[in-house]
Amino acid sequence: MSPEYSPQTKKKIEEIISRYPKKEAALLPILHLTQQEFGFISAEEEKLISNLLGIKPIKVREVLTFYTMLKRKPVGKYHIQVCSNLTCSMLGAEKLMGYLKMKLGISPGETTSDNKFTLSTVECLGACEQAPSMMVNFDYYGNLDREKIDDILEKLK
Amino acid sequence: MEEKILTKNFGQKNFHKIDVYLKKGGYEAVRKALKEMRPEQILEEVKKANLRGRGGAGFPAGVKWGFVPQKVPKPRYLCVNADEGEPGTFKDRYIMSHNPHLLLEGIIITSYCVGIHLAFIYIRGEYEAIAQRLEQAIAEACQQGFLGKNILGTGFDLDLFVHRGAGSYICGEETGLLESLEGKRGYPRLKPPFPASIGLFGCPTVINNVETLANIPIIILKGAEWFFKKGLPKDGGTRIFGISGMVKRPGIYELPLGASLKEIIFTCAGGMKEGKKLKAIIPGGMSAPILKADEIDIKMDFDSLVKADSMLGSAAIIVIDEETPILDVLKAVAKFYSHESCGQCTPCRIGTSWINKIVRRMADGEGERKDIDTIIRLASNIKGKTLCPLGDAAAMPILSIAQKFREELESYLPN
Amino acid sequence: MAKIFIDEKLVEAKDGETVFQAAVRAGIHIPHLCYHPAFVPEGSCRMCLVEIEGLPKLELSCSTQVREGMKIFTQSEKVGEARKGTLEFLLAEHPLDCPICDKAGECKLQDYYKEYGLFESQFKEAKEKREKKVRIGENLILDQERCVLCTRCVRFLNEITKTQELGVFERGVRSEINIYENNLVDNNYSNNLTELCPVGAITDTDFRFQTRAWLLEKGESICSLCSRGCNIFIEYNPGFARIPRKKRVYRLKSRENSEVNEYWICDFGRYGYKYLDEERLEKIVQNKNGKQTVLSWEKAYLVLVEKIKALFLRKKISRMAVICHTGLSNEELFLIRKIFGDILQVEKIFIADPPQGEKDNLLLTAERTANRRGAEEIGFDFKPLDLEVIALKTDLLLIFGHFLAESFSLSDIKNALDKIGAKFLFTSHCSSLNDLVDIVLPVALVAEASGSLTNVDGKVQRYSPVLETCGDARALWQVLLSLAKELKINYKYFYPLASSEAILKQMGNEIPFFEKKND
Repeated sequence: MSPEYSPQTKKKIEEIISRYPKKEAALLPILHLTQQEFGFISAEEEKLISNLLGIKPIKVREVLTFYTMLKRKPVGKYHIQVCSNLTCSMLGAEKLMGYLKMKLGISPGETTSDNKFTLSTVECLGACEQAPSMMVNFDYYGNLDREKIDDILEKLK
Repeated sequence: MEEKILTKNFGQKNFHKIDVYLKKGGYEAVRKALKEMRPEQILEEVKKANLRGRGGAGFPAGVKWGFVPQKVPKPRYLCVNADEGEPGTFKDRYIMSHNPHLLLEGIIITSYCVGIHLAFIYIRGEYEAIAQRLEQAIAEACQQGFLGKNILGTGFDLDLFVHRGAGSYICGEETGLLESLEGKRGYPRLKPPFPASIGLFGCPTVINNVETLANIPIIILKGAEWFFKKGLPKDGGTRIFGISGMVKRPGIYELPLGASLKEIIFTCAGGMKEGKKLKAIIPGGMSAPILKADEIDIKMDFDSLVKADSMLGSAAIIVIDEETPILDVLKAVAKFYSHESCGQCTPCRIGTSWINKIVRRMADGEGERKDIDTIIRLASNIKGKTLCPLGDAAAMPILSIAQKFREELESYLPN
Repeated sequence: MAKIFIDEKLVEAKDGETVFQAAVRAGIHIPHLCYHPAFVPEGSCRMCLVEIEGLPKLELSCSTQVREGMKIFTQSEKVGEARKGTLEFLLAEHPLDCPICDKAGECKLQDYYKEYGLFESQFKEAKEKREKKVRIGENLILDQERCVLCTRCVRFLNEITKTQELGVFERGVRSEINIYENNLVDNNYSNNLTELCPVGAITDTDFRFQTRAWLLEKGESICSLCSRGCNIFIEYNPGFARIPRKKRVYRLKSRENSEVNEYWICDFGRYGYKYLDEERLEKIVQNKNGKQTVLSWEKAYLVLVEKIKALFLRKKISRMAVICHTGLSNEELFLIRKIFGDILQVEKIFIADPPQGEKDNLLLTAERTANRRGAEEIGFDFKPLDLEVIALKTDLLLIFGHFLAESFSLSDIKNALDKIGAKFLFTSHCSSLNDLVDIVLPVALVAEASGSLTNVDGKVQRYSPVLETCGDARALWQVLLSLAKELKINYKYFYPLASSEAILKQMGNEIPFFEKKND
């Protein structure tokens, strides 16, 4: 069964396409919306987008595989992305990653068996004054230590 | 305390809402620019103010706008560079989150000056919450007649949209940004032609950093002379210095250009954390060559840092302490550029990855003396040979670390 | 025009030209991988960097436009260091496949390493691992480890065929080129990619592991499988004395011609090379009373001349017919019309061509013969061929080419030919037609003779022999001239026509279209 956008998303997509003098420029916003709707972008979604914008599916995949935030495989409900760049690593990011690995029982790149958490390392999030920082889905958390992490994980239902 | 320009109202409740903003004198600059000034006058003023780009390259904004041809029958575009990918940098996040309308004012005035009717804010994908805040601010501005058709009854139209990136540092490079905005892979373009003549969709385009544009309203209100008196004659205005690392009070501090680096570290940021000793400073975001502890008696402006073989860049100061092994610093630097290389040109694609592999091997305890020479040689082969500045941005910090801290690096080798 | 200096040599450059283009015209070689004259400069390989006086950094010659007085240095120390550096990067992540890579001997990395590199490898790390046998087309295999990401293949499919089958995926050193899902590169120009690829990343399965590039000789020729007349190189194994070789021709390559095929040839033409070697007729064979005898050319001429004279002297030339095809050269068609049409007054001269095919929107024409236009200009009349009518009123039939079998069924042909007294077939290949005639004579193909062809746009292209003729085969124009000599007709006219050039010149004197075509 081929996937279909919800009516609200369809409307949003139409509005977005109308912003640009060239349709193809809407590709990145549409990829974001698609990922939001379907969780990840597989060949079926690539086809959907390709029909929408009148470009070949290969062009969709070329763009999709260039950007770190766009996913071709499903991620857990909460994608925990820990910054591993200079300031964060100076301020203990590796130890915190070790703690998360232990608490969740997975390594970076993996998802818990109940599909709740996916763990990743990322580059600079732009939150260096709160190092060590991490991003859960799109929420920023900074000044992390073990207690804070316990707290955050608790609250993530 | 000197008068703050950009961070003046940071921290005030709901300052990101237009009704609060207007009460504090918001959009006066837009009113003055659109109703009392001609575009040529605005251009003159911005040129006189010596406002240099706040993204990293430091190119004078007025000169850049002046390159846009007015007689070409093509639409002109403005792209606001809110990609903020330079490690250590977070200032634009503050501006957009605490004072989005200041940015909007800057965008409106710039567009009016250059004759632009469609502008995009290219914001990094991770700043999703900030993007939402910007969209709210744009909606409010539209409602109040500061954006859209016939702004303030002057006949000037401007549409502004937020366009989110999706995790790629190279999309903060101006032509990489354009490619990404056009819906393609973020591959930087060959220059010439420059974006001012052939940019977005092949049309003349201005690309400016968030902080650069946030300075425009005050230049309009108080004039160019006031502005460059706040800084230095050649580098007008203030900078929002971001400082992070082993300091007591990491964060943003707005100071005039030419402020003392020592003052920023030891006064504003409260000095080293928990009695640690200073080993090194990265003064302008990760791409800026590193400074040793005895090189920090320096003024933070474009020219002084160039004289010290470094750069002001994004004014993001990273403070490194004695206990942090310099090998870890090198590891983080090499890993970052290897991860972010777009892969288009040979030296950066393979060079950054090769250097990363060597550093990883050194960090695993299998390094050799020759490796440091190899790293220096490879970085020199990347420098100046790549299609876009990312090659230099990778090569220069790596070279500076390998050269200035060679002894310490050698101490991590097995024998 | 701008006067520039390359390596202190004065070069007259055209306005708007790039440094690279000016250098090429001045005979100065600048190494390059991603640059190709058919595409917009990309500037990603960084091999073509040169030093320009007054500029602090090295600049790309492929995309820097010339300016009056520019001083360019392609051999300075800085440039040499840069080239070495780029080569070192490329070779660092390149697999050591030379012993098993088809491109060896014609590989840009090998060539440039020999000229500008010659350093020891300093790369001690693990190379990136990728797929080495990705099937991207019917005859195409991609080795992602060998790929240097010059993206010529991707750009060819984007800009020339506009079919976009290949793309660049991932980012940084993980970048790779691939097809989308199972959508193979499936167009008539796919195998230009093997030629385009500067290294052995894209290989042709037809050529893979067959031979080594340095064992092949190369000759210039013209493709004769359609009316475009694409310029080609024929690459063949010249063979060793006393050692039988497996085959002659190993592959065809495109030859640049800005007026005909630019830089490409189509797959249909490219794989036509097998036609040059397979099922070739090597001897003159006479079929008499169920027995087959090999004849010499002298004997064959004797028999043919006797038959022709018999009809001519009895004023019964109306009982002779000629069937030829438009794959014959200008010279051959001209001689056929002259000898049979003008002098012997044979009226029944017909054309039997292979059926038309689909043309594509680039090079391939619907006509599948090389000289249709030539036949038109020489004045051939394309009246329909009715086998029955010919059979009834013909005692002597000369057939040139085996294409009759492509338009008529074998039984129809047999029925018709059985009613004709004497049948001679001049052909290059063995076919079912050969057993239905009295004498079949082997003739040479375009690759084995000299002559000229007129392409669909009216361009006359001369060619010289590349391969040796097979067995006793001879060039048809030489056979026709010998026939004229044996028939003792118009000695003064035919005697000076001793070469194909002379024939073409004579054509220029008689037919306005061919005037000045032999320059």
